[in-house]
Amino acid sequence: MTTARDDFLSRVSGALGRESVPDRPSSPPPDAVGAPDELAERAARVRELMARNADSLFDTLAISASAAGWNVARVPDDRAAGDYALEVARNLEARSGVFSLDPSVRAALSADDFHDAGIALTPIALDRAAADPSERQRDRDRLRSVMATADFGITGADYAIAETGTCVIIPKTGVSRLASLLPPVHIALIRRGQTLPSLDELFTLRRAAFAAASLGSYMNLITGPSRTADIEYKIVTGVHGPGEVHMVLIG
Amino acid sequence: MKPQTAQFRQNSASAIADERIQANLAGLYSGFHSARISAAAATDDWDALRDKGREIKSHVIENLDYYLDMMARNVERAGGSVFFAEDAEAASDYVVRVARKRGVEMIIKSKSMLSEEMGLNDRLESEGMEPVETDLGEYIVQLAGDAPFHIIAPAIHKSREEVSDLFTERLGSPRYDDIEDLTKEARRQLRRKFLAAGMGVSGANFMVAETGTVALVTNEGNGRMVTSMPKVHIAIAGMEKVVPSIEDLGLFLRLLIRSATGQRLSSYVTAVTGPSRADEEDGPEEFHLVIVDNGRSRILADPDLREALLCLRCGACLNACPVYRKVGGHAYGWVYPGPIGAIVSPMLTGLSEGKDLPYASTLCGACKEACPVRIDLPRMLLYLRKELTQGETYPEHRSASAGERAAMRGWRASASSAAAMQAANLAARMGQGILSSGAGIAKTPPSPISGWTDHRELPRAQKPFRSLWRDMQDDDRAQDAGDISGDDSP
Repeated sequence: MTTARDDFLSRVSGALGRESVPDRPSSPPPDAVGAPDELAERAARVRELMARNADSLFDTLAISASAAGWNVARVPDDRAAGDYALEVARNLEARSGVFSLDPSVRAALSADDFHDAGIALTPIALDRAAADPSERQRDRDRLRSVMATADFGITGADYAIAETGTCVIIPKTGVSRLASLLPPVHIALIRRGQTLPSLDELFTLRRAAFAAASLGSYMNLITGPSRTADIEYKIVTGVHGPGEVHMVLIG
Repeated sequence: MKPQTAQFRQNSASAIADERIQANLAGLYSGFHSARISAAAATDDWDALRDKGREIKSHVIENLDYYLDMMARNVERAGGSVFFAEDAEAASDYVVRVARKRGVEMIIKSKSMLSEEMGLNDRLESEGMEPVETDLGEYIVQLAGDAPFHIIAPAIHKSREEVSDLFTERLGSPRYDDIEDLTKEARRQLRRKFLAAGMGVSGANFMVAETGTVALVTNEGNGRMVTSMPKVHIAIAGMEKVVPSIEDLGLFLRLLIRSATGQRLSSYVTAVTGPSRADEEDGPEEFHLVIVDNGRSRILADPDLREALLCLRCGACLNACPVYRKVGGHAYGWVYPGPIGAIVSPMLTGLSEGKDLPYASTLCGACKEACPVRIDLPRMLLYLRKELTQGETYPEHRSASAGERAAMRGWRASASSAAAMQAANLAARMGQGILSSGAGIAKTPPSPISGWTDHRELPRAQKPFRSLWRDMQDDDRAQDAGDISGDDSP
């Protein structure tokens, strides 16, 4: 019995003048960046580049992020990053905020300072102890409604991209998809040494992650605020995602 | 969406007479078109990137069966499901089936031209479900019961007053004069839908075969909502959207986004590889990819049209096209307007219906120049015109009139020898004498010549082209001589 897939693929093969799906392409793929057998080497070069050029990449990031609509703040250390986030929250007259459990966020935030300012801070992390499905569902619903009503979200980043002014977030345990999306203000903390030159280097590292079976299910590249120009070409920010975004460069 | 490609002439005439549409179209040129040109100029080696993009996409299209098979296997390896849909109906059936199984009532959608092509919203509504478009432009278009006007900016034909009227009428919202307020109102309305929906349907800008990843490019954040909030995410993709490796994405994101809006990168690029994993905090439990043919294999089967499948759907050829910029997106009568639509729509919906579309071009070449993967649109438009005129290769389409075909055959015969050409020219000059009324040719010559003169005056040729050419050559030689001697006289 043939399936819809077989029929579909044999129609495509037929349109290309052959009987069935070939075992390999007619010629090697003309990779944009390079061939897979050199991947490990290429990824190692990218990591080395990130470390070696950390200073200049960080400087370029500050410029391109600002051009992309981020409020860019450069701070000397984790403590100062936490102070900056608190200052943003105060200016918003915020009552509540959420944060991801990235190392940079943990190091920067002082729960006491926020508490003293009358701002409730909630980490977005499921209760792993919850055993039965209905309990887990309640936990998910709780986190979602906390995020949906929060005044701001604080996250770290896996990488930043100097070319485009982008913050890259790869969700994982402790790193929600939504903490940087649902609240109207997003504060991203980025450390020196996390900056990649361009999109190409990011995708080289992602290909290497795939080869190591650690791609994950999701990745967001965030470049400035949510925006639209759908009515009369007028640019308006904060459509569905945050309208106010801060990139805090640490170190 | 039901094709209305046969109404191109009527639709374009009314668009040209509509001042509002003309003003909005002018904005398109100064907006997206100029932004694209600046973005290209600011990108190192832009033309080399275009060449590389074309090379990679051509490779994929020549090996499409191989890469689709690879894509499907890798989506499944990541825990997703894949459905191959021969046509729009099969694709919609699948979406409905998944929704029923999960007891879904409300479906949030991010912008997908393929969904428009499938008529998915009508179908979901007929099944008693509520599809909600969440891209602001698409939301406006859906509320108005209208069709997208532009691939990138679907509601760009509506003024703020019209949007305000629409929101008041359909949502009961207060009147807003300000675009920011209108956007905030849409945010409020749609936020409730995002939180309540049981399923999200997105398109796909790219499918990455090697990793089984679907990449989405958005600015508003609705794509992130649709792929993160509901328990089920279905991505629908035209089968041509594959790239081999995730390392190709850097190149293609640059080409697509810089050509579409002129941004360096859109606000969001989202890469989805299967459903959310057990160790993640949120995200859908189910991921489905629907890969759709719906006539694309017809385009693939014709080597002369195959390169239409390289298209990244950036909309640059629309903005560059002097015809699109006068008649707008609705005139083309289907989902894909502009030069690329004039090729793709007739092939997907039937050449007989869309017979006017390949003629909706001056062949000036601006589209080819703008295309980030250098699709030779003018060549294909000419090819389709030839097919329409000969009426042989594509049996289902209406052929040109017998008279026009005979005239083309006659021209072909006469052009192949100088003596025959001269004889034919003489006959033509005598012929135009019969039709002539003073300086121009009479406005109502008999068919098939009327097809060429109904909308413009054909000037009367005073001299045959061959003698005109001879005279011009002589003039040029005289001119050249003047230049060389450094003579200042004009």
